[in-house]
Amino acid sequence: MEFDRLDKMDEDKIEEFERDLRKALERAPAPDRLKHKVMERRRLERQSKVVGIEIRSKKRTRLVWLERIAASLVLASVAGSAVVGHYAAERRKGEEAKQKVFTALRITNHAFDVMNEQLRERDERSR
Amino acid sequence: MALDWKPDFEMLVDEHQSMVFSLALRMTGDRGLAEEIAQDVFLALDKNLGKIENPQHVVFWLRRVAMSRSADALRRRRVRGIHQWVEIDEAHGAEAEERTSPLGDRVERLLATLPEAQRAALVLRYQEEMTPEEIATMLGAPLATVKSQLQRGLKLLRAKAESQLKEFVRGV
Repeated sequence: MEFDRLDKMDEDKIEEFERDLRKALERAPAPDRLKHKVMERRRLERQSKVVGIEIRSKKRTRLVWLERIAASLVLASVAGSAVVGHYAAERRKGEEAKQKVFTALRITNHAFDVMNEQLRERDERSR
Repeated sequence: MALDWKPDFEMLVDEHQSMVFSLALRMTGDRGLAEEIAQDVFLALDKNLGKIENPQHVVFWLRRVAMSRSADALRRRRVRGIHQWVEIDEAHGAEAEERTSPLGDRVERLLATLPEAQRAALVLRYQEEMTPEEIATMLGAPLATVKSQLQRGLKLLRAKAESQLKEFVRGV
């Protein structure tokens, strides 16, 4: 019985405290210029977003051009090296053919020299 | 129906600025920081306005974001080693007329000495008049945990108030 009375007293006190707490924790008024500051920051953020988009767009255009130039340079160097390679191979082949002709000429020349020598020896013997 | 709702941002700020600011103020105990948090919360709302379905959703969203931003601010502050309430009057203290009431002011101070989870539960319960179920949903915590936080927080706050505030002693 005594405990029940104490519990009831405690409950009453808690309820009273809760009432006081509700009153003390009523919403506080926002600072005067809060809305103004929010709207201003919003405006600035939107503005910087637009500027950011423009800058990004310009950067993207520049990047596209740089990519195109780089691709052209790579293509040109591949084509150039192919042409140079082709001419080098042709030159090497020409060089080899020339060497073969020279070798053939040297052989022929040598053969003529031998023939000449034999003819000269035969002439001398016949005399 | 939800798609028909076309919110006006400025009106939403007008309507809910007191709620957002008060939540941040009671969670951080710092008017300057609370104002910054409130601004950030509204700017976040502006970015997420397309996802908000109706006026009730706005209130739920603002409360949740205000609470989580306040918790983040307190965490950053703990990392920097700044103690709450130390500089409140000097650095960010508002003029006396801006305060809600002297009693409210002192309760705010006592509230700030409670553990963060208990403080959050009490603020949502007694400032926002939310039910424990709504608080549990909003904070993503089990209902039993929220109820226990409310009970413990209330007990602790009452004990502190009894020992420190004359206005609360009358019932003892």
